[in-house]
Amino acid sequence: MHTRTGAAIVLDTLESLGVETVFGYPGGAIMPLYDALYDHRIAHVLVRHEAAAVFAASGFARSTGRPGVCIATSGPGATNLITGIVDAMMDNVPLVALTGQVRSTVMGTDAFQEVDVAAITHQVTKRNIVVRSIEQIEPALRAAFRLAASDRPGPVLVDLPTDVLRAFEAEQRKPAATKSPECERPRATAQALDAAVEALQGAKRPLLIVGGGTRWSGATEIFRAFAAHIGAPVASTLHGLGCADPDDPAFLGMLGMHGWKRANHAVAKADVIFALGMRFDDRVTGDPTKFAPNAHTIVHADIDKAEFNKVVHAHVTLHGDLRETLAALDHRLARVTLPSFEEWRSAACAPQERLPRDDARHDHLSATDFLDALFAALPQDAIVATDVGQHQMWAAQRVRASHPQHFLTSGGLGSMGFGLPAAIGAQMAHPGRMVVAVVGDGGFQMSMAELATLRRHELPVKIILLDNRNLGMVRQWQELFYSGRYSATALPDNPEFTTIARAYGIEARLVDNANAIGPAIARMLESPGPMLMHCACYPHENVWPIIPSGKSVDDLMEALPA
Amino acid sequence: MRTVTANDGRILARIIHLAHRFGCSYTSVASEHIGAQYRMEFAFAGSGDALRRLDAQITKLLDDDRETME
Repeated sequence: MHTRTGAAIVLDTLESLGVETVFGYPGGAIMPLYDALYDHRIAHVLVRHEAAAVFAASGFARSTGRPGVCIATSGPGATNLITGIVDAMMDNVPLVALTGQVRSTVMGTDAFQEVDVAAITHQVTKRNIVVRSIEQIEPALRAAFRLAASDRPGPVLVDLPTDVLRAFEAEQRKPAATKSPECERPRATAQALDAAVEALQGAKRPLLIVGGGTRWSGATEIFRAFAAHIGAPVASTLHGLGCADPDDPAFLGMLGMHGWKRANHAVAKADVIFALGMRFDDRVTGDPTKFAPNAHTIVHADIDKAEFNKVVHAHVTLHGDLRETLAALDHRLARVTLPSFEEWRSAACAPQERLPRDDARHDHLSATDFLDALFAALPQDAIVATDVGQHQMWAAQRVRASHPQHFLTSGGLGSMGFGLPAAIGAQMAHPGRMVVAVVGDGGFQMSMAELATLRRHELPVKIILLDNRNLGMVRQWQELFYSGRYSATALPDNPEFTTIARAYGIEARLVDNANAIGPAIARMLESPGPMLMHCACYPHENVWPIIPSGKSVDDLMEALPA
Repeated sequence: MRTVTANDGRILARIIHLAHRFGCSYTSVASEHIGAQYRMEFAFAGSGDALRRLDAQITKLLDDDRETME
């Protein structure tokens, strides 16, 4: 038997860590790794831009809970990963990025395609590791995977000089044990747990807000049991969608800037708030000094202690893994009697009229009409990935995700170009499931080269392109807050998207009126392969309601000012 | 003045960047390589809220730093 190269050690280690699929794009410094991939069992998805590799890895991770892996070469390959790495950092996505690096002997000499990616990503990764020798490869990768997935998940970058990848190990070694040691996790103190229970016992109008931390701790089921036990209404952040059962009558929907009015009003009226795995993002709180004005107690549970009192003061902090925190709370609640919150719940959860909307002219297609029909038709286990913009918020308002891994969206960073590659990553992870990318015409044009990736790998992703020939969200803000000065947001020269899709060998269909919605969705559901649905929409439909940035629920708007 | 020990000496640079991000400035910084670790001493000036947030982030960075390549 031969000793292995560094590149082979990388792949063997990845495999021993359970990695079956990686997303990447080759180039000079990373060529030894691609040479090893040539006949390795790990599947490689060739994207058409490194940005898509990191977003696809993110989609894989968001839809599975396991770290996604992306690969790029040195220099421009590595820098093209940056947005997706930041995106993963903001949304707590476990991600391992492998980058090629120039030879160790020329590092620091401005060699061809040399960039100090470790320095660049220092502020936006949980950690990055520059591997200096072949002996460091395996421990570096194991540490990267542990860090990416532990506590509050996030991205880790491992930089691999090309000479280290080409080197041979001194003697043949077996891969280390597959199982990585469990990291010690913080646990909420008994005193804090008791204080949280006391707050509930004294509450008249409690509200649970469920956030993305719930999904990453795998606490969806225990959260639902906890919520049912208390009987309080539940609101969700963007990343918490799917944690609460969308059919639960106590579920108020998404809160925040484009959240459901009843969810935001419940926040304003609640006297006790349980904030579970959320970080009081400004899109949730608006003006934080006016957030939850009637709450005398805010209980904040999170794995990241640095989130406590960062934006909103919490009276009780539960520092720990949310699954364990909720289990401990539930255990305590079983021994006490809580007051009935039925009257409050019924009032807060009163059926809401339809979401406010702009009426499209009769000869135009409404994007929200299309999405209403889409979400009514999708199978319960469908995975929906969105891009960023108006369509993202319309989807978040309407999606009926039965699990948080069914709704994938770039929340914290709001990265256009995310939707299609994220759907590709999710489809690779779930080959038998329906995966839908809901995208706008702006974001799609940042990523539509990935149509080639769909074709190459025969991925049956369905693309819903809501084309309003505008950068719609920016246009909406220009209409509302910039006196209608539409600077650089009109896209009247959009291409024939169906023609482009067909050029890649992908089925495409144009939908341009309300009568075409039903047949188009029916065709999409029965189509075995990838499909682009080009929805030519009314260009001036806005997202309602909206709480203007930095304002409160008192400033909520449901239509254009008269 | 806060004194910490880290495996990754680059954390000091990250802390200084964070401090500036939070509107703080450093009044004193020193670092020493001892064995396989770095001993760092630093002090920052800024608003109470910013310093509290900075302190929380430093603690978090040091928690992640404990994950070594062993």
